[in-house]
Amino acid sequence: MQFTKIWALIALVCCAISSFAQHQTTIFKGTIYLDNQPLHGATVTIAGQKTISDSKGLFEIKNVKSKNVRVKITSIEAETWIEDIVLVLESVNHHNFNLVKSNKAIDEVEVLGLTKVQEVSRQAYNVTAIDATKLYNSTLDISGALDKVAGVRVRESGGVGSNFNLSLNGFSGEHVRYFVDGIPMDNFGSSFQINNIPINIADRIEVYKGVVPMWLGSDALGGAINIVTADRFRNFVDASYSYGSFNTHRTVVNAAATSKKGLTFQLNAFQNYSDNNYKVNVEAADIYTGAYDKNAVVKRFHDKYHNESVIAQMGFVDKSFADRLLLGVILGQNYKEIQTGARMKSVFGQWHRRGSTVMPTLKYRKTNIIKGLDLIVNANYNLGKEQNIDTVNVRYDWYGTSKPNGTNGERARQLYIYKNNEGLATTNLNYRMGENHSIALSNVFSTFNRKGHDELNPTNAAYEQPQKTNKNILGLGYTYGIQDVWTTTVFGKLLTQNNKNGALDTTHNRFGYGLATAYYIKPNLQIKTSYERTNRMPTPYEMFGDVENQEANAKLKPESSHNLNLGTNYNFAINKDHRFVVGANLIYRYASDFIYNRLNNNQSKLVADNREGVETWGADADARYSYKSWLTLGGSITYQYLQNKQKYEPNYSNISPLYNDQMPNIPYFFAHGDASVIFKNFMNEGNTLNVGYNLVYVHEFYLYWPSRGGQKLVVPKQFTHDFNVVYSVANSRYNIGLEAKNVTNEKVYDNFSLQKPGRAFYVNLRYFINK
Amino acid sequence: MKTNIKKLLITGIVLSVFTSCKKDDVGPPNPGNYIVAVSPVASTGVADYLLTAASLDEGSVTTKGHGVEQDGTYRYYMTANNKFFSMLYGQGNPGAVTTYDIKNGTLNKVSDFQSETVQAFAPVNNDILLMKISRSITNKLSNFYIVNTNSLLITGEGTINNQIPSSNGELAHFTWIRQFGDKVFAPYMSIKGCCGDSFGTAYPDSSWIAVYSYPKMELEKVIKDNRTSYIGAYFLDGTAVDEKGDLYAFSSAAATTAGKVTSKKPSAIVRINKGTTAYDFSYYLNFEELSGGYKIGNWLYVGKGNFVVSMNAMNAADKYNFAVVNVYDKSFKKVSGLPSGSEINSVTSTNYTKEDGIGYVGVTLKTGISYVYKIDATTASATQGLRVDGGTITAIAKLN
Repeated sequence: MQFTKIWALIALVCCAISSFAQHQTTIFKGTIYLDNQPLHGATVTIAGQKTISDSKGLFEIKNVKSKNVRVKITSIEAETWIEDIVLVLESVNHHNFNLVKSNKAIDEVEVLGLTKVQEVSRQAYNVTAIDATKLYNSTLDISGALDKVAGVRVRESGGVGSNFNLSLNGFSGEHVRYFVDGIPMDNFGSSFQINNIPINIADRIEVYKGVVPMWLGSDALGGAINIVTADRFRNFVDASYSYGSFNTHRTVVNAAATSKKGLTFQLNAFQNYSDNNYKVNVEAADIYTGAYDKNAVVKRFHDKYHNESVIAQMGFVDKSFADRLLLGVILGQNYKEIQTGARMKSVFGQWHRRGSTVMPTLKYRKTNIIKGLDLIVNANYNLGKEQNIDTVNVRYDWYGTSKPNGTNGERARQLYIYKNNEGLATTNLNYRMGENHSIALSNVFSTFNRKGHDELNPTNAAYEQPQKTNKNILGLGYTYGIQDVWTTTVFGKLLTQNNKNGALDTTHNRFGYGLATAYYIKPNLQIKTSYERTNRMPTPYEMFGDVENQEANAKLKPESSHNLNLGTNYNFAINKDHRFVVGANLIYRYASDFIYNRLNNNQSKLVADNREGVETWGADADARYSYKSWLTLGGSITYQYLQNKQKYEPNYSNISPLYNDQMPNIPYFFAHGDASVIFKNFMNEGNTLNVGYNLVYVHEFYLYWPSRGGQKLVVPKQFTHDFNVVYSVANSRYNIGLEAKNVTNEKVYDNFSLQKPGRAFYVNLRYFINK
Repeated sequence: MKTNIKKLLITGIVLSVFTSCKKDDVGPPNPGNYIVAVSPVASTGVADYLLTAASLDEGSVTTKGHGVEQDGTYRYYMTANNKFFSMLYGQGNPGAVTTYDIKNGTLNKVSDFQSETVQAFAPVNNDILLMKISRSITNKLSNFYIVNTNSLLITGEGTINNQIPSSNGELAHFTWIRQFGDKVFAPYMSIKGCCGDSFGTAYPDSSWIAVYSYPKMELEKVIKDNRTSYIGAYFLDGTAVDEKGDLYAFSSAAATTAGKVTSKKPSAIVRINKGTTAYDFSYYLNFEELSGGYKIGNWLYVGKGNFVVSMNAMNAADKYNFAVVNVYDKSFKKVSGLPSGSEINSVTSTNYTKEDGIGYVGVTLKTGISYVYKIDATTASATQGLRVDGGTITAIAKLN
């Protein structure tokens, strides 16, 4: 939201001709509609000045010098509007325009109005934006969409709802922070994560690599992902349902109703259900005889997952006291059966977990509290619970056979239920000074206080110890910009964290800073560079564990990193029919006290630990091509080299044999490609058929240190192909999609031995209407 | 055009980085019938490597580019029936056992089966007996598994109640198991198994051995003695059988109560004669007195009544002392020729001997380099043998 404003601001500021006059200037403002809906991205030109309408169709041009002006409004979606208007000088002139839908083919329009996604990519940061709206007819969740971005690799441990680990330029897990509309997702609970939020909730997804804008107020080490939810329509319903392999059902309903007086009600609801009973190839041994089958093919039998979530918000928009004031609640619950431990050798048959999210939320936004000063406040508190249920004293094998196993459950008999009591408050202040300067202040405070009990083990002291943490991040930033020439931002962040773990009470203070700058060599050729000295505090999960697969490590230190990006973007066309967008980035990271997850000594759980240093060099590139308006091709390729810089191991005097070795168990070379063909007016006027193809390639990598050993364990290469067909009827009001994933039924692994689903088919139905 | 050049350039960069990080040259392998398990010196992401060697007396091996990678480092190794068993210790998770034999000097995987995580394992007849031992007073049952070393199948299993042998209200937590005659001897420590003092005891001055039938694993008898404390240690074999068929057992005299050592009896060696199921009360070796204050930490029987003993001192800074003790003539000699305690980082606990008077013990120096030291019992002198680069030695074994 803040971000929208900064851009609007830069756009505004730079279009206006400076005025030194002290008296009231002439302002020309209003709203642009297309078929009575606010039109975003239209270009308004009067008397040589230009601006672009925002997401509500609003535009404003200041310092108009002439009384008689010719207004010209162009948009990719509408017929060009030209009107002569007489203005009243030295006052605010309101004019609304209702444009007419264009019949012109898109490729014939000279596009000046940038889409939001393109605008994001023009920032000085190393950022990629995904236009989620183009994926609405698929069954993707957010993590699936992110997997297509250069430098991003999402590693999953299984099917729907399985554990995921997103890696961004080699940084993964908690090094990467997630946001919804700029609000940190840290405390959303297991029912609301990027692997269960459907893509339809988002309008776009922004991926910031290495250097994270100050206004996100975060302590990310490797980057941040911001999910921007859709508020393009004041009144709409968007509902979809899909069904597919492994008894997978998904439903998403998004709707909003807004009265003329600005009272609004917004609803997002979604559900995922899957048995995840796909076939896997395992080394199986009979639980009774030990009979060993090296190549057994078995169905997963205890991997059901479902979650149900609702986000409901009510409040006001466009009132004098607030541009937006929303009170809401996020309700969610999930159920997850646990089939395996960290290896497929550990099989479980009854152990499962449950989680819930009950989170009241407050969102407030007001622009121009005093002239040029904007305020955003967000707050929420999660009252949800998480529970780990392991009460059956048996051991399972892959054939689903079980036998009694003492009295200690399948792994550790427990019924532990806990509340994390996580609260969050964020404040953003942004002040525009003159036309080229702005200054922003942001503060994010979060609190965590785990309390739990285990009725099977009421005296277990481990659960009674305090597990508390408070974190505060204060940031200050300054931006100078001249539109389409250059922009520079400098910022600083002060981070404070206090942790109480049992008797251990620690406080960490860190200071981080950064700079991002972009320069346009030509209007369509941008170069940019950014640097951040970034710090990340250990998360509650790393310090206290998750009672499932993550072991606690209370002695973790904050990690820090030097992150440097250098990138370029270029877009051009040949003969107007052939359009290209290409980009390339070089990245460098040097992390110290690097926190990373390793298996604990007996391979049963993950545990976070500090390393002295990890150095990363990486390069990625992406390219898109379109031919006329019916063919698009695209792809990205990423290479990253992460090197161990821990020179000495504790208690040893010689240089570690693993010094300068490549970090194990991290994908370092991967690529993605896609193609789609669009048939407009297919069978009927207003109907569209879209046929798409996706491929993913991940090069094989070693599980353990590359330099050691002769016969080594590897995570094998992945090469998968997905196809989809979407048929949209009545200008996309009704949509039917078919998807085939992993059509060659490749055995795919993101993690050692944890096999992912083979070939799968899905059908997706979607209905969309707006008024 | 421009794009093509750019794409080419990027591809070029990617490829050059990609190809430049191929493995450096690694030395030749060292095929042979000895197996050395090595864990790289690193705090993270570590797997064990099984290396072969033609000799323990000379030469070198390295984990750089060599060795059969084991999934994970918390592993235990044993040999039985000319097979090498690599066992994963998985705490509450299921464990796993990978079996190898040696063909033409190189390791060959024979089987890989899931098992429980066990705390004691030993060859019995043609089987290996694995035991998952109770450590909680609320769960008195231990599980045992019998795996045939020929078929590599589980041929028997069952439970035993660990509160019965102790009959003092505490749990009998087996330190190890050993076949003695046709019985299975299970020396144990008496532990509370509760109350925040799980491995503590109210009975620090006795030693016990529970005697079980095999393969039924029925409790036949408990051998008890008050001359020393419990035998062995958690996950440590405190017994050995000599050529005459007599069983010797040591106690470290290290029983604790609420975290403090409360044993008042000395560290000592006791004997059970062949064919009997009772202590030979005529035999007692007060090791603490003999050694001048040291306690036995671990031992390796190298034949003719000689044990290579790793000793613990009362002064914690005085580490890595070795001696040879002969249980027949009760002679004691400190081992010479080893690096000084201040140079040593760790010492291997699963070592090798042919029972010909020579013990092979792994030593990892603080530099990170490891050696197999050859300790000759007759002279009590150690000489440096096989050099091991790239890690600590976790086990030494030999297959034929």
